[in-house]
Amino acid sequence: MAQGKTGKINYRCPMCLFRTIDYDLLYDRDADQFYCRRCNWEGNEMAILSLYRVYKQQYPDMLKRWTVEEILAKNEEADTPGTPAGKGPS
Amino acid sequence: MDKFILSVVHRPELMPEYINTDAQAGKTEELGGTEVVGESLDIFRLQQDIAHANGIKCTIQMTYASLYNDEAIQLAKDYHEKYGDEIAHTFLGVQCDRFRETYGSKELAMWLFPWDLKVRVVRDSFERFKEVFGFYPTSTGSYFMDAELINFIKAEYPMVKTAVAACFEEGPKVFRHTNNTWYTLLDGGPWTAWVPSKACSHAIAENADDDSGIVAVPHLSRDLLGVMDNPGDMFGTHPQNIIRGLAYEDDRLPFMYNLVDQYQAIKRYNKGYSYNLVYVGPGWMGKAGRWECPYRILKKSYEDFMAYYGQLKRQGKVTDMTMTEFADWYRANKAVNEPICALWKDTIFGTKNQCFWYADSKFRIQIDLKLGGAITDIRPYASKLKRPCGAGTSANQDASYPFIVQSRYRGGPFTHYAGEGAIKSAKLRFGGEEVDLSACRSTGRYEEGPGWRKLIVRPVTVEFQHLKVQVETSYTFHENQGTIDIGRKIVGLSDPSAKVEVDEFITACWGTREYPEDLTGCTLAVIDRNGTRNAIDYAYRCREHAAADAAAVEAVIPMVQTRIRMTPKSGPCKGYYEEGYSFAPNLKIGLCRELGLDEELVTVFAIERAN
Ligand SMILES: [Zn+2]
Repeated sequence: MAQGKTGKINYRCPMCLFRTIDYDLLYDRDADQFYCRRCNWEGNEMAILSLYRVYKQQYPDMLKRWTVEEILAKNEEADTPGTPAGKGPS
Repeated sequence: MDKFILSVVHRPELMPEYINTDAQAGKTEELGGTEVVGESLDIFRLQQDIAHANGIKCTIQMTYASLYNDEAIQLAKDYHEKYGDEIAHTFLGVQCDRFRETYGSKELAMWLFPWDLKVRVVRDSFERFKEVFGFYPTSTGSYFMDAELINFIKAEYPMVKTAVAACFEEGPKVFRHTNNTWYTLLDGGPWTAWVPSKACSHAIAENADDDSGIVAVPHLSRDLLGVMDNPGDMFGTHPQNIIRGLAYEDDRLPFMYNLVDQYQAIKRYNKGYSYNLVYVGPGWMGKAGRWECPYRILKKSYEDFMAYYGQLKRQGKVTDMTMTEFADWYRANKAVNEPICALWKDTIFGTKNQCFWYADSKFRIQIDLKLGGAITDIRPYASKLKRPCGAGTSANQDASYPFIVQSRYRGGPFTHYAGEGAIKSAKLRFGGEEVDLSACRSTGRYEEGPGWRKLIVRPVTVEFQHLKVQVETSYTFHENQGTIDIGRKIVGLSDPSAKVEVDEFITACWGTREYPEDLTGCTLAVIDRNGTRNAIDYAYRCREHAAADAAAVEAVIPMVQTRIRMTPKSGPCKGYYEEGYSFAPNLKIGLCRELGLDEELVTVFAIERAN
């Protein structure tokens, strides 16, 4: 079997990313496949990219822009007048 | 005061860490050694140009290698001349042929050198700096500098005013993130500028006598919620770190602006002041890209980031300062033991989650609002632990300031099967049922007054089978006193005549990482109202003791020279200790009282140095 090399794009193992480990994949030219030397993940570029997309699901607000005012106002609804005192989230 | 300050730091590196690694890993077809040097200086120029184009002044930290490179030296002089950039010094980027020949070492981390090498590198590089520029630097830095190194530098080069002295919350989480190979084990320090103690650089100085003589700044400004359960190297004022965390789409990284804006927002908790440090090493902007991200996006993210600061500057919302200018400003405007404080809100995970951080010369405290406002991390600065690091010391690479509570490394509110994890929380009991407030999500609000800061946790509802109880928690931090008044008030009861028992407790331990450390030699004590003291030496024997009318409960953890004590602010309390056992390696102390509607249990939680 051929030696694994860093691919044209240096992808990190998507499965290792899920447990917050940055681990570079190697590319096996003969099998046209990336593989991880730490865990047992192997797959093609499409599989990497689709798992990266899943990884990003931990950031629902990834594309949301919060201004200073919005940050300061966030979660302060409970203190606005008219809300019963001591209600709060439950 | 209304002051948001920015320091942007660049370094001309001749062999950036990451480019070096990539080249070794098989990209040599694209990156030869001489090309690496050329490219690296190009990146430095690019970073400088991007900042200057947006009207931002920079601090140029000269590395050991760059102090022997004519082009880098000339660049620094030119930038200083034209833009007023500070020419500063760093212990990063030491590695080059000359260094290896002179010191015979491939070590790259200044804080990990054996002491004799540290001394030589300080003297040699400061003298070389003087030779090249005609003056000694007033700012320096590394990923970490222990108190011994800072004290030595101040003794030999008293003109030094400031240093990048740590990377906030780089510890076990970042170590794991890097496949257990990035030895910045530095958890436990402040997240923004501070004056370090002479005894320990993580700890904020007690007073003028304890002032190490520098203003320390962390390497980056990080997301205070993101770092709690994630490696901080994906959540900082460093666009390429955000890319590393995949929190971007195409070339859009709104999170990086949100981070800056949240740092502006926390002026509210710091008497109108906040600080950002941006320090992107050149290896993050290499032509070959970084991991899966192409150069185009790496570059654009930095341009967008600097453009945003530039816009804020034009709007009068940020003041750019060199590191030394900032140190002068800090000395003129802040106390040696200035408390720092932040109520931090989630802007990325899509939740209402919040955390609260407080630090002064006595402790650093982290409160997790989604755990009902439980304390999930305590670093006892009061003990001012001497912890020199590097080869030849007992800490060696483990440069973290030890915790006595760390709920993620040591279980927190959730354990598998048995025992209890490390946390400071409270339990409510009624009719044979028990609920830990850490099961009740909440949010917080902030108040302050002369000498105190207060976090009020919005009331949560505990639902027993036959009773609903609303409880409000509050923390009043007495600045630099080492005490917190913790209030638990019953603000609602479905049966107004009912009484519930509140158990205010802490399960503590000690360490810097996940594995348990030996608790043998710790002591636990209950002192009753008559002064009778019941105490044991910890031996994992699951012993317990309670007193119906306790004046105080306390625990001493001699390994970190720390005593914790809880006393009722007023009125009687039952007090107890629980020793724990090997499968539940914690020290637990607590105070209990029955409360009715509108009644409050206030306990004083003290963290002291134990000799
Ligand atoms: Zn893997």
